[in-house]
Amino acid sequence: MKEGFRQAMAWLHTWAGLLFGWLLFAIFLTGTLAYFKDEISHWMQPEIPARSVSAETSLTLAQDYLQQHAAGASRWLIDLPDAREPGLTVRWQQAPAKPGERGRFESKTLDAQTGAEVQGRDSMGGEFFYRFHFQLQMPYPWGRWLSTIAAMVMFVALITGIITHKKIFKDFFTFRPRKGQRSWLDGHNAVGVLVLPFHLMITYSSLVIFMSMVMPASIVASYGSDVRTFYDEVFPASKTPERANIEAPLAAMAPLLSKASEQWSGGHTARLSVSNPGDANATVVLSRAGDRVVHDFGRAVTFNGVTGQMLGSTPEQPLAMAVGGAFYGLHMGHFAGPVLRWLYFICGLAGTAMIGTGLVIWLGKRQLKHAKSGVMPFELRLVEVLNIASMAGLVSAVAVFFLANRLLPVNLAGRADWEVNAFFMAWGLSVLHAMVRPGRKAWVEQLVLGAALFVAVPLINALTTPWNLGVALLQRDWALAGFDLACLATGFFLAWAAWTMQRAGNTVSVKKPHREKAQPIILEQGTN
Amino acid sequence: MLLPLLLTYAGFTALCLSMPRHHDELLGHKPSARRRQSLALSGWLLLGFSLWAAVTSNGWSFGLVDWFAVLMLSALALVLLLPYRPRFALALAGVSLLASPVAAWAQC
Repeated sequence: MKEGFRQAMAWLHTWAGLLFGWLLFAIFLTGTLAYFKDEISHWMQPEIPARSVSAETSLTLAQDYLQQHAAGASRWLIDLPDAREPGLTVRWQQAPAKPGERGRFESKTLDAQTGAEVQGRDSMGGEFFYRFHFQLQMPYPWGRWLSTIAAMVMFVALITGIITHKKIFKDFFTFRPRKGQRSWLDGHNAVGVLVLPFHLMITYSSLVIFMSMVMPASIVASYGSDVRTFYDEVFPASKTPERANIEAPLAAMAPLLSKASEQWSGGHTARLSVSNPGDANATVVLSRAGDRVVHDFGRAVTFNGVTGQMLGSTPEQPLAMAVGGAFYGLHMGHFAGPVLRWLYFICGLAGTAMIGTGLVIWLGKRQLKHAKSGVMPFELRLVEVLNIASMAGLVSAVAVFFLANRLLPVNLAGRADWEVNAFFMAWGLSVLHAMVRPGRKAWVEQLVLGAALFVAVPLINALTTPWNLGVALLQRDWALAGFDLACLATGFFLAWAAWTMQRAGNTVSVKKPHREKAQPIILEQGTN
Repeated sequence: MLLPLLLTYAGFTALCLSMPRHHDELLGHKPSARRRQSLALSGWLLLGFSLWAAVTSNGWSFGLVDWFAVLMLSALALVLLLPYRPRFALALAGVSLLASPVAAWAQC
């Protein structure tokens, strides 16, 4: 009875893992990259310089700029720079938006030190990986639905994996390399069990984040078709005041930062929203940065824009929301400093490796049966092609995305889209390549290609822009320097993987594909 | 985060050595029952102590996250080191133990 149950769980683990493995590999890899979203964006828009200035200085510059360029606007939004995101972004809206609609905003990025406009090259930057990891580049809402289903399958695969694993504690410290299929299973178990808290947290929290989309029944039952009311009640948006149509100068906003910080026992402001600037009824709403583990949804302090007097502050969130906020905060890791962010990144890589090793094991087990005849049935060949393209091909596509950022002309129309197109074209080509080349050769060639592309990233960067590794190190721009170094490291890692794989192919006639080659971009934290 | 890292690494190494198979692989002989028990006990104590170190240095919410992070990292590092550089893995545990009072002093 007990063995029957375990076998059923093993069956579920095997097939759920296989069907969604390729998709989950891509979701985990891009999600892991998204932990360094801001650093990647910084590298991809190096024109926006990283400055170390106080929030007050940048805010004063932003206020001056907006007063000159958008004095009569109905609303201003100011996003302050932080240690990871260098740009000071100002946006304004000339006429108020109709209720329930998002108004049109003009947007400019300023140098946080001089207040001059800076124009970064058109690029999605790290945002691409972040968006892809839950929207999968599909039209709304299909991508989100698919990734929600993938998250559920991941959760099922984790639970069934724990049940199937017979000797979690006995084999806790066991990893036996260079033993073929045995090593793959050891590796799969090791990265699965040792990093299990992360896997469970990331998978469960993704379900919590998706919850309102996947299971709106509880909301619909209480609010009927008027779902808007639910969101208005849960996220009490600060009401936009009516214009008084009496001119009154806006007070300096810089001193409000410390007042807001007092309200949040030391928390920082990420964004300011000014309604009716220059009017007697001006208000300023300061929203808190995500600097806590328990994410505070919509935590804000409102001030009178003319007198600077505090008008109100959102209360502490209720417990249920704090629980939701904790899962959200843990998943996103916005609060993480440089060291913890790296640990998040390593955990993400471990998750990616777990999925990759699982896919390899599935194929390896079944290939053994056909090793003697040398003829592989169609379905195994299909899995092999998908394994190669979804792992080695994806890693190469990531490098192509970075290279496209440096090689496409800066004033090309639709430049950001072309970077994304380059990514998908490279990925598509890797499928074709895997189809025409025999398995092991395809692995080695794609790994070599990935290695060459990643090593090329810092070189092409040095040739096409003034922000090469040496300059970045001299300027102590750790994000830029770390990006280049991480690309080099990834390139060497991929070369090593290709070499190991080639060697294994020469000595062993039975094919056992090489170990997961995920380890992508590693970025240094900008601490300046 | 340094002190919790040193303590979890040393703790996991002690727990690893408390298992006869690993003790045999690393030190060349099976441990006595008493030795096993004391290794297991000190391993768990070190892990418990590392939780305390993480929470006192960074508060409960950040401390718990830090603790889980170093827990996973040190276990992963140990397991990946053991088959390739077993001597180094053990030496690292010794260094961690020796360095932990210094790290504790720096943290206070």
